[in-house]
Amino acid sequence: MIAKKWLPAVMAASLLLCYAAPAPASAESTPYESYNYNYWEEAVPAPAAYVPDRTLSGKDLGVGDFLDPGDMVVAASGLIYIADSGNGRIICLDSDWKVNKVISGFDNKGKAEKFKNPSGLYVNQEGNLFIADTDNGRIVVLSPEGDLLRMIEQPKSDILPADFKFIPVKVTVDQAERVYVIAKGIFEGIMQFDKNGDFIGYVGTNKVKRDYTEYLWRLLSTKAQKAQMALFVPTEFSNIDVDSKGFLYATNIDPGSKEPIKRLNPSGEDVLKRFGYFDVKGDIRFRISIGPSKFTDIKVLANGMYSALDANQGKVFTYNDEGDLLYVYGGKGNQVGTFKIPAAIEFSGGNQLVLDRGKGNIVIFKPTRFGTSVNQAVGYHYNGEDTRAVPVWKEVLKLNSNYDIAYIGIGKSLLMDKSNKEALKYFKLGMDRDGYSVAFKRYRREVMQEHFGTFLTVIMILVSGWLAFRLLRFWRRKRLSGRSRQASQNLKEGKAHEAGFH
Amino acid sequence: MRQDFIKFPLHLIVHPFDSFWDMKYEGKGKIRVTLTILLLVVISMVLKNQFAGFLVNYNDPRHLNSIIQLLTIVFPFFLWCLSNWAITTLMDGEGKFKEIMMATGYALVPIVIIYTPMIIASRFMAEEETAFYYLMMSISSIWFVALLFVGIMTVHQYTVLKTVVTMLLTVVVMGIVIFLGTLVLSMLQQIIEFFVNIYRELTFRT
Repeated sequence: MIAKKWLPAVMAASLLLCYAAPAPASAESTPYESYNYNYWEEAVPAPAAYVPDRTLSGKDLGVGDFLDPGDMVVAASGLIYIADSGNGRIICLDSDWKVNKVISGFDNKGKAEKFKNPSGLYVNQEGNLFIADTDNGRIVVLSPEGDLLRMIEQPKSDILPADFKFIPVKVTVDQAERVYVIAKGIFEGIMQFDKNGDFIGYVGTNKVKRDYTEYLWRLLSTKAQKAQMALFVPTEFSNIDVDSKGFLYATNIDPGSKEPIKRLNPSGEDVLKRFGYFDVKGDIRFRISIGPSKFTDIKVLANGMYSALDANQGKVFTYNDEGDLLYVYGGKGNQVGTFKIPAAIEFSGGNQLVLDRGKGNIVIFKPTRFGTSVNQAVGYHYNGEDTRAVPVWKEVLKLNSNYDIAYIGIGKSLLMDKSNKEALKYFKLGMDRDGYSVAFKRYRREVMQEHFGTFLTVIMILVSGWLAFRLLRFWRRKRLSGRSRQASQNLKEGKAHEAGFH
Repeated sequence: MRQDFIKFPLHLIVHPFDSFWDMKYEGKGKIRVTLTILLLVVISMVLKNQFAGFLVNYNDPRHLNSIIQLLTIVFPFFLWCLSNWAITTLMDGEGKFKEIMMATGYALVPIVIIYTPMIIASRFMAEEETAFYYLMMSISSIWFVALLFVGIMTVHQYTVLKTVVTMLLTVVVMGIVIFLGTLVLSMLQQIIEFFVNIYRELTFRT
């Protein structure tokens, strides 16, 4: 009876509690589906790491519409530079999204010069602005005040053909002030210039892949047919960025490549770590009609992470320094947060910015709780503070319990703490066989050390028991056979007796 | 019982020439032992896929299905026996179908006796030691093929070369059987559909 009375009250209370529960952390809706790949290379839904916050067009800024903007760069001071290629100007914004200045030309020894389709930008540590002035065929270096420092024009070198035409598209500068340029029609790699603007050589040539069917066709075809065939030339690079250690991150748009992202050391070798479950190439699974990811820009973030912009599907793929895919966001479309022709990606004050050439605007993405936690945990792990990463990884797992990297991160920390048995569990959840093997070996040794005495005792008992059994059987058999021999002897004697020999 | 199920198979895997001879001419093999071995192979395969250690087990647990596992072993086994019988009747083989089945079945014994301990051992292995697991697995397969070879050779009283040729041809025949099987099935399906359509037409007209 009493139960009947308070049952509705409890129900009402639980209903109230249900409604009073706070809204989920990632209540912001996104116009794209967030996902990540699991160990079996299946795209599994995941919480969004970044959500679109707002968009900025040229009109919003009060400088008139952008026309085919080609590149964007954020300086160390926080200033944001946008190459408004179609209008031949550089727009400089401060960190509050107010127009700081518009650079539409420069003073070259008293002569006013203009840009012609500038499509690449870079700002070095001192704030000097490097502009790839594409259609004028030169790299212009301006001081932060907009004064001309120097220009890199048509390089002269023995290794360049006589009819060579310098058409720079993208530009990057490293700490040693070497200038790296991606130029149109150059298949040999990234052009490298020294401090004075002299051409040094190429770095990081893309290798030509031999296709055996093509080879067979070539074998079977005539000279005239061969002349009609496509040439085997390496693909061009599409963009470059430089990290804090002076390594170049370069993207190429080779459609069949497993390595569209490269990390080049100073001698031009690819040293990108690819320790994840799958290739660092954007989408693993894609529709044939859409095709694999085609990267147009790459941005190195803090703590060894890097984001690559896929122009094919308008997605941003972010990896950590070991080549694990952390999260994917973005897409193609007309809503806020989707792109038409994404051209450049940048990072500013925790937000990610994507420049859309097609729509002529900038989309600002701000991190969600999930994204912030992942970034933080990756940072701790990168700096070797694994114990501090564990609570953050647990937070990540609360938001996405399918996040393998978090399990592996916790496992690694547990391994450091010598709690090998728990580490085993986490490595298994994260499907990390290498980590599992290390943890297992340590755990096995631990168990053996602890139980070696018992183990030996058991073996001794078993061996002695078996020996005793054998001995016993042997004696019994001997006795039995002795008795039977005696019996037969008796029998024989009896028979003999019966036969009446006595 | 013990003689049939334990002693003779264990003797066979180390003395194949003698034992297959005994099987053919002394009537030592039993069809029910063959079927038991086949069942044990299925069980050890299922156990291997389900319970082998994490470091050597690359199966997606969501896609494991013991029934399909059973079919993928039992069906090829009978297909092999049938194809071998079919090809050897044309190539003057002396073996009967029962003998072929027994030779194939008894040749599977090493798989059973190596897989089961290796499944247990693999749960206590670190990554470097998994090489040993893979070594034992390949040994069991090679042993199986060798026994099968000797078995077929003895059962049909063939020379070495002829045995090799027959075994290769058997694989080809297996392919042909599968092709014909699917062909017949799809034709049957179409014929059935045709009659069903006629029936429907008739019922609608009346």
